[in-house]
Amino acid sequence: MSSTASDLKKILGKGKVIDDPAIVKLYSKEPSGMEGEGAIAVVFPESVEDVRRIIRYAYETSTPVYPQGSSTSLAGSAVPFERGIVISMERMKKIHEVNLVDGVAIVDPGIRIDDLNVELARYGYMFPVDPASSSVATVGGAINSGAGGMRGAKYGTMRDWVLGLELVLADEDATLLRVGCKTVKCRQGYDLTRLIVGSEGTLGIVTKATLRITPLPEQVVYILAFYDKLEDLAQTVVDLKASRITPLIAEFMEARTVELAKKLANVEIDAEGHMLLVGVDVYREAAERMLRLLEETARKNNAKKVYKAWSTEEAEEKGLFAIRRNLFTSQVYYTRQRLGKENVHVLIEDIVVPPSRLVEAVKRLDEITRKYGFTLILGGHIGDGNLHPAVGYDPEDEEEKKRVHDWYMEVMKLALELGGSMSAEHGIGVMKKEGLRMEAEALGSPKMLDLMRGIKQVFDPKGILNPGKVV
Amino acid sequence: MQSNGAEALRAYIRAETSKCMFCGFCEALCPTLYHGPHRGYGPRGRVNLARLIARGEASFTSDVVESMYSCLLCKACHLKCPGGIDIVGVVRATRSLYVLSQEVSA
Amino acid sequence: MVLNVREILLLMAEETEKNGIPLPINPRVITEWAEGLGLPEKGDTLLYTGGLYQLMPYINALVKYLEVLESRPSGGFLLKAARKLGLTGLAGAIAKPDRREVEYSHKVLRAIVKLLQSAGVEFAYNPSADGYSGVLLYDMGLDNVFRRHAVRVYESLKKAGARRIITIDPHTTFIMEKVYPEYVKGFDIEVVNYLRLLREKGYKPSGNGGRVVIHDPCLYARELGIIEEPRKLLADAGYEILEPRRSGRMTYCCGGPVESIAPRLSRKIASMRARELSEKGRRVVTLCPICLANLSRAGEKLEINDISLYLSGEA
Repeated sequence: MSSTASDLKKILGKGKVIDDPAIVKLYSKEPSGMEGEGAIAVVFPESVEDVRRIIRYAYETSTPVYPQGSSTSLAGSAVPFERGIVISMERMKKIHEVNLVDGVAIVDPGIRIDDLNVELARYGYMFPVDPASSSVATVGGAINSGAGGMRGAKYGTMRDWVLGLELVLADEDATLLRVGCKTVKCRQGYDLTRLIVGSEGTLGIVTKATLRITPLPEQVVYILAFYDKLEDLAQTVVDLKASRITPLIAEFMEARTVELAKKLANVEIDAEGHMLLVGVDVYREAAERMLRLLEETARKNNAKKVYKAWSTEEAEEKGLFAIRRNLFTSQVYYTRQRLGKENVHVLIEDIVVPPSRLVEAVKRLDEITRKYGFTLILGGHIGDGNLHPAVGYDPEDEEEKKRVHDWYMEVMKLALELGGSMSAEHGIGVMKKEGLRMEAEALGSPKMLDLMRGIKQVFDPKGILNPGKVV
Repeated sequence: MQSNGAEALRAYIRAETSKCMFCGFCEALCPTLYHGPHRGYGPRGRVNLARLIARGEASFTSDVVESMYSCLLCKACHLKCPGGIDIVGVVRATRSLYVLSQEVSA
Repeated sequence: MVLNVREILLLMAEETEKNGIPLPINPRVITEWAEGLGLPEKGDTLLYTGGLYQLMPYINALVKYLEVLESRPSGGFLLKAARKLGLTGLAGAIAKPDRREVEYSHKVLRAIVKLLQSAGVEFAYNPSADGYSGVLLYDMGLDNVFRRHAVRVYESLKKAGARRIITIDPHTTFIMEKVYPEYVKGFDIEVVNYLRLLREKGYKPSGNGGRVVIHDPCLYARELGIIEEPRKLLADAGYEILEPRRSGRMTYCCGGPVESIAPRLSRKIASMRARELSEKGRRVVTLCPICLANLSRAGEKLEINDISLYLSGEA
């Protein structure tokens, strides 16, 4: 046993430290395909005091720490590359308070977003940020990766829903810091809460969060429409905006992706062409009018097929979500077929462009992907301009891996060229550090990185918090 | 999965677990993970531990045995796995490997 | 959290080889429920209980004993010692199951017999061909022990002239229908679950009515697709069915399958599920003896009964 592990067992008690190498490996990986070799032990704090004990020890011994939620990052944010300790927040998963009058929930970082929403639903409320991984992703992880989701156009991302944070700082005393308010309005000098959101565990260990919550919509009506022309699909969204509608969700999938995904979806939907899924939250009395408007707008813009649902349950039953849900899976199956092997990786990109540039972005993405010899799988949150182009590759083929990397870089460049950003909701981690540098340069602001490094230095003088990430 | 000796079991586990991309979607429905002490008490953990075992990169330590034998075989995880992995099949096969390694059934 | 797995596996393997049951108890406990019922012993269609309902009182006694061991820091070691000391404590504990539980299991089996008879199903019960299916051996990875056991079970079924067997719980149905054909060469016995059979016969049971919460067992719901049958039967018997938050294919396990390996974990899962069921109502229907035992152990104030008792108006 390493002395670090035995020290930690002394400090925390045996049950909160695991150094079995096989279990440690479970905390060294990510769906991004990245894996680190540095972790010597995983610790499982059950209280803020546990976290402070760990940080005090880490500070004293200059040992890197890697805070983790559920390791669903797609940017390499939580992988332990240097010799250090993984801090898994999974046992801190209490809901401390749900306060409807104040519209807040105070929670531990380890609770999964969907589990929080099951509890909030009892009160008719929800936490609206819904990354595709919300069934697994933890609140702490979502805060640190600055997660978004399908409802981004309407509800924004984590930075719009975190009102206050409690965190442990990486200093000699492992200082407990509380920032932000319990209210939406809050002018506490520099906005440190928003600085921590999206900081990927590099500035402090979040131990508690005050989240804004919002009522569940009374009813949501949906249409699922298919188009021959991408321009028609985009125009539908533009027209809806002109009708002063902000959809709850507006998801899009490109035609070839639809073709691949429908094979897996197993639903009775005549899916052909580019797909648009729109959901609008309404009061019951307005449902019929809204659904009619959605359908008319789609048809006016040459939608070939339009499916309707009066509620989320009906949409679920009719399989309106099924094709969208198979976006990722379809790339997996397609790549398995292409390579004739089971062990494949899928790289999911995460760029954002102004919605006005979407059509152009889609066409260019297709060209770029062809150029590198891959098949593009493309879906995205059309309401907010966030696109998730994905390609599958053979992780054991060095040449292909290099090609994927080049593709990845070019996709980020495209986003910048179109006035967007190279990361919308997945974060920087290690995979997008180069992208962040490119973006700073594209903005004519390389100084941005210096400022970030300065901030990192102030918060984490010894550089022990998730080293090697972001900047 | 009928076992035809350790090698066949290992080959089966290797093939099946190579489909895992570590997304963790399986974890949401797992009853044992919610109450368990670490990720090894969930399907993503079990699949990846089984992979390590089958590749000879891990041994049956008490933590690994606990991971495999705490599984309920309830197949809730099968509902969510985008890779279509036979997770329960993997767990059973890994248990069979353990039994063979212990000569319990000799 | 998990007890000494190796010792438990050894115990199961040894006992099964010795007397066909993975616990140190008299095999007669599996067939005694039918004594005096005057069921015919010969026929093509045999009722094959697989012994799960009958074994549950003994497994419950074992779990109680194991829970005590687990609460001590050196639990695994104690269990090992117990085994080497001629299984004194263990055998003693198992030999004294709760009599009420034993009687309850008999009541369930007799209710099932009555339902089959009322539905006009012709079947026989041959005590020498009934016995434990070996499902636990299969689940635990004891492949060779299981294979030998399965062959013995098959041979005694064949000797009794079985061409078709009626199974009554999810685990036995699963193992006979899906696993035996893979492990037993030439397995040619048709397997039919009694709930399916009752539906096929168009049988309309009559119960006492009222609202009941249904708890789907994992194997029926996800492995065998038996989801609608119990609902239709209950509805026909006059019950209003309440669905818990997770039901049908999405059902949530009772925690039972790890009761003898990780009793505390098992109990935690059962408590969670029992709470979820109680949110919908107090009267709960189970379709599996393991669910029944484990949810009952959870301590919520629920009135839990096997579906057969609801269908026969005894619950």
